[in-house]
Amino acid sequence: MHHSFEIDGVDHRLWLSNSQQGYRLHLRDQVITPVAFTYHSESSGILTIAGESEPVRFAIEGELIHLHIRGRARILRYIDPLRTLAPANDGTRPLIARAPMPGVVVATTVSPGQSVSAGMALMTIESMKLETIIRSPQDGIVDRVHVKEGESFEHDAVLVTLSKEGR
Amino acid sequence: MHKFPFNTVLIANRGEIAARIIKTLRKLGLRSAIAYHEADALSPAVSMADLAIPISGRSPIASYLDIAQIIGAARKASAGALHPGYGLLSENAEFARAVIKAGITFIGPAPEIIDLMGDKIRARNFVQRNGFPVAPCAIEEDDPATFVSRATAVGVPLLVKPSGGGGGKGMRIVRDLNTLEAAIEQARSEARRYFGDSRLYVERYVELQRHIEVQVLGDAFGNLIHLFERECSVQRRFQKIIEETPSPALSPELRTRICEAAVGIARAAQYQNAGTVEFILSEDEFYFLEMNTRLQVEHPVTEMITGVDLIAEQVYAAAGRELALSQSDIASNGHAIELRLYAEAPERGYVPTTGNVLLLEYPDGVRIDSGIMQGQRITPAFDPMLAKIIVHAPTRAEAALKAHRAVRELVLLGCETNASLLARILADEAFLGGQFHTGYLEENPHLAAGNFATGLSAFLACAALLTGPVRASANAVPELHAALGSWRN
Repeated sequence: MHHSFEIDGVDHRLWLSNSQQGYRLHLRDQVITPVAFTYHSESSGILTIAGESEPVRFAIEGELIHLHIRGRARILRYIDPLRTLAPANDGTRPLIARAPMPGVVVATTVSPGQSVSAGMALMTIESMKLETIIRSPQDGIVDRVHVKEGESFEHDAVLVTLSKEGR
Repeated sequence: MHKFPFNTVLIANRGEIAARIIKTLRKLGLRSAIAYHEADALSPAVSMADLAIPISGRSPIASYLDIAQIIGAARKASAGALHPGYGLLSENAEFARAVIKAGITFIGPAPEIIDLMGDKIRARNFVQRNGFPVAPCAIEEDDPATFVSRATAVGVPLLVKPSGGGGGKGMRIVRDLNTLEAAIEQARSEARRYFGDSRLYVERYVELQRHIEVQVLGDAFGNLIHLFERECSVQRRFQKIIEETPSPALSPELRTRICEAAVGIARAAQYQNAGTVEFILSEDEFYFLEMNTRLQVEHPVTEMITGVDLIAEQVYAAAGRELALSQSDIASNGHAIELRLYAEAPERGYVPTTGNVLLLEYPDGVRIDSGIMQGQRITPAFDPMLAKIIVHAPTRAEAALKAHRAVRELVLLGCETNASLLARILADEAFLGGQFHTGYLEENPHLAAGNFATGLSAFLACAALLTGPVRASANAVPELHAALGSWRN
């Protein structure tokens, strides 16, 4: 059975199978044998991969797996196979302007009920030292502004929802 | 019997610098008190302080900028002195005046000096008047109606800067005069919000410039010395990320000239306490940039090569003591590099990141000035700097190697950081050869981008092995079937 891990927005499909000294790792274009993991503590262990031993630090936070290997940290998200079967977007989903980064709302330039065109400024946000303008992804009517001026939000937070014009 | 006219010092700051100040106060036998917002309740400084006083406000940052509340906390702690750290209220003359008026010793220069140097235009004119070099510029308030045409006359490339600002906030480079007016408007809006002051000026932007600054130290008796330079040219968006001393760009002769210019400027201002004079260096010419009337983030590299505890010197100076060090006592020993660990993703345009510190392991054998602890939440409420790694070695090459090892050994899980960018810079030929300038990272985007594929299979293998359902489906399939599967796909 295939499984998926997402790193920086890219899905990587893989599966494991049993082998004599551990597992085989089946990636899209290669098979690596053997791979094994030996736990040393609840946050450390040794990864054996193709004859090399790599010390690993790890932390698991729900579906997120935080790893530090060979001097580098990465976050991998395990994608539950059941969730990927969920129905695809059928077009009834509201239009959403999301936060590209965590920050604070500096000014809101639209209010609910107002019609906007694609590319129009919805709000100005500030992240650390830079001001960024959040623009409407499409034509529509402002349904709701979710974050008030002065309030902070995290990455990917819903800032403004829009409904399709004439709906 | 006390060595000081005060025995408790309130720290009006947070993060790594608050923890750093507490360490020196302990060494000096002084009590430390800290005013903190609940977002920082789990931070190192709050647990280290002898006394922690909660403050609140519209936002965490607003609490730390609330002068009345900070002075109230100082009174509550019976603090006889206050250390402002860097950033926040540290260069706010009104704050320094309020502290002094409350009968509390302000650990920093006199409010008049903060005023002078805090107004970038006054500071620039002051420096020029005293015979030190400044870059060509146009100042809006000289005649607002002709500002754009005077700015145009300075010639591109230009840097639009807020008069009341600092720390890179609100600055814009203009290389095409058609974008000048838009850049002025954006800089004005940022300046108004950050500094409550929308006045601007433009300055000729020096391409391929290096950022060199000089640490100075003065007392109430007119003694003034320098503690050599720091080079801070590795920057992203005007924010320093790696600093070092000595600078690989200075010949001994140029070093003497720039350090003496810094002392001259500070002396002309009758500067007391610790301060930093910043310069732009281009080839062997330098211009005054600004003077920071406070401790700098990167002060540790100076401490490493001189052996001087700058915070202790600040406390002594504020207590009215005569400087115990003379210029000939200050020797530069070896090479020091500081790395700033930021909660941000250089790979995605340096966007700030957030998360919980799930695992934190610092490397051995180096100095760590940390503002975080395991279990702490990293929020977008504050500056993204988490900690600093400072190394000291006999030579620059050895220091770079040591820093590279340390940043790769550092483990911080739960929030993305710029650690792998730092590691890539420390292995980059241009950096190792000392051949870089403030546009270095922009010119070398591959350093921020990194190589996505490097070691990817090890990460995927590890994640697969640590995920129960992935192992379970392997264990559910007989071995022969699994072997077939590899070519059935």
